[in-house]
Amino acid sequence: MATATNPDSSATSTFTSKDFKSDLKPIWCPGCGDFGVLQAIYRALAAIGRPPHEIAFISGIGCSSRIPGYTTAYGFNSVHGRSLPIAQGLKLARPELLVLAAGGDGDGFSIGGGHVPHAIRRNDDLTYIVMDNQTYGLTKGQLSPTSPKGQRTVTSAHGSLENPVNPLMYVLAYGASFVAQGTPADIPGLTAIIEEAIRFPGFAFVNVQSPCVTYGEENQQIKHHKAVMKKLESVGHDATSRIQALDKAQTYGTELLTGVFFRDPTPPPTLGALVRQRQEALMPNAAPRERILDLFVQR
Amino acid sequence: MSSTKGINFPTLSLKDALDLAILIEEEACERYQEFADQMEIHRTHEAAQFFRLMAGNEEKHRSELAARRVERFAAQPSSVTRSMIFDIEAPDYDEARAFMTERAALRAALRSEEKAYAFFVAALPQIKDDAVRALFEELRDEEVEHQELVRREIKKAPADPNLPDDDFGDEPVGQ
Ligand SMILES: Cc1ncc(C[n+]2csc(CCOP(=O)(O)OP(=O)(O)O)c2C)c(N)n1
Ligand code: SF4
Ligand SMILES: [Mg+2]
Repeated sequence: MATATNPDSSATSTFTSKDFKSDLKPIWCPGCGDFGVLQAIYRALAAIGRPPHEIAFISGIGCSSRIPGYTTAYGFNSVHGRSLPIAQGLKLARPELLVLAAGGDGDGFSIGGGHVPHAIRRNDDLTYIVMDNQTYGLTKGQLSPTSPKGQRTVTSAHGSLENPVNPLMYVLAYGASFVAQGTPADIPGLTAIIEEAIRFPGFAFVNVQSPCVTYGEENQQIKHHKAVMKKLESVGHDATSRIQALDKAQTYGTELLTGVFFRDPTPPPTLGALVRQRQEALMPNAAPRERILDLFVQR
Repeated sequence: MSSTKGINFPTLSLKDALDLAILIEEEACERYQEFADQMEIHRTHEAAQFFRLMAGNEEKHRSELAARRVERFAAQPSSVTRSMIFDIEAPDYDEARAFMTERAALRAALRSEEKAYAFFVAALPQIKDDAVRALFEELRDEEVEHQELVRREIKKAPADPNLPDDDFGDEPVGQ
């Protein structure tokens, strides 16, 4: 009598987490939140059921940006702040690939902050995972754009004077169609969020509060997350309403709400779909490939 | 934080229960290996050795259970997968720290044994099948034995130096 049911939403998936784990051993500080994020990504990819060679994982620079190397997917630990432009270019060139982008809060909201609105408005079918530890981990604990006001770091010895960026409000206000937040204090919850983000057609953003054990404060650690985190579904949230999502997103930095903040019930077409439509419309009048240079030659 | 997904305990068959127990040991073995690797990378050799030993113990339990499974059910397909369990006996990732002492590593292992014990205690009232109940009781009692073993080792381990956690941070490698 078979009495356990495989909960993988793609019941036909023949993949397990192990298929996505590379031979490279993570060099993160033991206890770093990114270990749990990696575990959630392995599990989500196993549930999605696409083979590693159909997946490309692009990151910037930072401790968190090492993550593609720890997977068996194609990976590019690229340039600081540039994961999104590279991921968008790749998705346009190879639309059949499942493309993930990832990095830290510094990578995504400081040096790379200018790319986020453009990735959102273009709406390529990408999943962007930010490991938000409120610090620059790799460069040894400087103030980051999401560090809370008052945080003491090596670059703010008497406490930061600046208000932090709120990544959730940022992406919601620019019109992202899928916005969620998770924590490695709840790996099953984070797995479900990442899986849903990957399945979502269009630009999907996941902010992960991923603690830095080496430079983070005590109230930013996993123990604290476990004590204070609340699931959005338990507070009566309507994830189809951007206004409600913006309202809940204001709690960033004071409360830890996890789950899907916003999921557009009628997702707009992706850039890839629009490009294909345009190509199909222009194709009947297009010059044959071997005559393409003639378009540029004056006769 | 341990949890399961998609397991219906009241209707669990003995084959599935054995497979579940095997996966729990496999998950714990892998996590201890990961911890040992982390400790080696961060030059924490005593804790690395201890975690390697724990990985060996979990693998021993796994292979004993696997032998019982084969004897009883041969190659009948399994309907339980790793995606159904989360950190049942595997120590949570945030238990590891660079330069953790042997005593701290033992304490992390003790919390994992306690976690596994709590899992079987919570599952038992839901179990309806007598053979599954007997298996879960056996596994629960084994967790008690393991806890006692680890507690004895904690008593023997050298005392921790009285230093703040900050003194034990290792730093990331620059890029
Ligand atoms: C163009 C450029 N500027 C600055 C740096 C130095 N740098 C490397 S990582 C980093 C910030 C890392 O912070 P974050 O993106 O939050 O990642 P974390 O290490 O915290 O995961 C900086 C400033 C760089 N590598 N390249
Ligand atoms: S410095 Fe912080 S973010 Fe970087 S690996 Fe260590 S704990 Fe993780
Ligand atoms: Mg950071």
